[in-house]
Amino acid sequence: MAVVEFKGKKFEVDEDGFLQRFEDWCEEWVEYVKEQEGIKEITDDHRKVIEFLQDYYKKNGIAPMVRILSKVTGFKLKQIYELFPSGPGKGACKMAGLPKPTGCV
Amino acid sequence: MTFVPSGYYNPDKPMEGRITDIGPRHYAEFLPPIIKKNKGKWLWHEIIEPGILMHKAESGDEVYTVRCGSPRLLSTETIKEICEIADEYCGGYVRFTTRNNVEFMVDSLDKARKLKEDLNSRKHPGGSYKFPVGGTGAGITNIVHTQGWVHCHTPATDASGTVKVVMDELFEDFQKMRLPAQLRISMACCLNMCGAVHCSDIAILGYHRKPPIIDHEWLDNLCEIPLAVAACPTGAIRPTKTKITTESGEEKEVKTVAIKQERCMFCGNCYTMCPCLPLADKEGDGIVIMAGGKLSNCITPPKFSKVIVAFIPNETPRWPQLAQTMRKLVDTYAKHARKYERFGDWAERIGWERFFELCELEFSHHLIDDFRDPAYYTWRHTTQFKF
Repeated sequence: MAVVEFKGKKFEVDEDGFLQRFEDWCEEWVEYVKEQEGIKEITDDHRKVIEFLQDYYKKNGIAPMVRILSKVTGFKLKQIYELFPSGPGKGACKMAGLPKPTGCV
Repeated sequence: MTFVPSGYYNPDKPMEGRITDIGPRHYAEFLPPIIKKNKGKWLWHEIIEPGILMHKAESGDEVYTVRCGSPRLLSTETIKEICEIADEYCGGYVRFTTRNNVEFMVDSLDKARKLKEDLNSRKHPGGSYKFPVGGTGAGITNIVHTQGWVHCHTPATDASGTVKVVMDELFEDFQKMRLPAQLRISMACCLNMCGAVHCSDIAILGYHRKPPIIDHEWLDNLCEIPLAVAACPTGAIRPTKTKITTESGEEKEVKTVAIKQERCMFCGNCYTMCPCLPLADKEGDGIVIMAGGKLSNCITPPKFSKVIVAFIPNETPRWPQLAQTMRKLVDTYAKHARKYERFGDWAERIGWERFFELCELEFSHHLIDDFRDPAYYTWRHTTQFKF
């Protein structure tokens, strides 16, 4: 497994750049992912999505369904794509430190 | 390797000048002129000979279609060769069928025959036909198949390999029309059943026979445990905690899952959802054969295919037992079924007990449905049977 270093922190990641352990998540991770995911600046809206994803994951052990993400944050899918161009899975979940989405994706 | 930028993409401004949601090209851009002209005005068609169809239009125009096999998995070199043939004979037009055959269209029978001869003369250095002509009428056409060991991570067998073996064995029937009705063979490398195995006359299906191995150390990190639990059709998986010694020698308690082995039927759904539950196994994995499915509404309604062979081992690279079984099934069907009778129609008319007898297949307890309430309806609730 690859280890990336960013601003003095080390992160273990897989080949798609997802964090291997949720516990390793920190502010620097967000900064690091931002660069790969084509996000210029982390806004409050980005934070709202990331925080909700993390809350939901801690409570339920899974990432929320897209409809739940939209309903709770109030962002329509279109807005989520505007915030995270790679989408809620590859973009937002990766940035929030959640495990990589599985299934027939 | 040198990185050559496309010129259209600037990684610093990924959304700038981005073109999206334009969909596929409209099919009419690629229609041969004669098809475009007579679209919606076809009167009748006939199969002139194996691999050659003729369509007659109201205007009197005739289109001759030459159909040839393809391995579906193609290199750009082969696609270029297909284009060269299309350029030479068909004004640059060509199409692929829903079973991944290639169809070239010309406007006269002479041209079609010449094209057929040319296609049949092209061979790979190893000797196999590049573009064997056939696949029409009551014969065996191309096998709809999946990724297998070429690209997928959940297969229990290979797709391209098994398909080549079966098509080699049944090649004559691709170029003939001697069967009672068309015989559709499909292949899927795990029981996700991508493609058409559940509704084909004969189906080849990759199958596991051992439960997953649990990677406790990583499971909670890489998987969403509730999804793995919910992925199981028999409720064999439950969440649990366990004490482990990690690779680095540290002892700790982790969240993970437990699998009740006697409830597991090796579907592999949990591995699809959770990378820490791999179950592929060299000796355990193999092939199940199903038969009797169909999609068309012709005479009888569409049917699901049914399991008729519980296990055939993976015998790379030529799967001899698989080839032998397929040969037996096709020959028995060809000999006994009536005209227009699909494989499933035949088996249902003579009764499945007679079908197993004729095909000399072993009937084991694996073939008796035991999945939930609907299993009951697959048992026999009548005294009507043959000894």
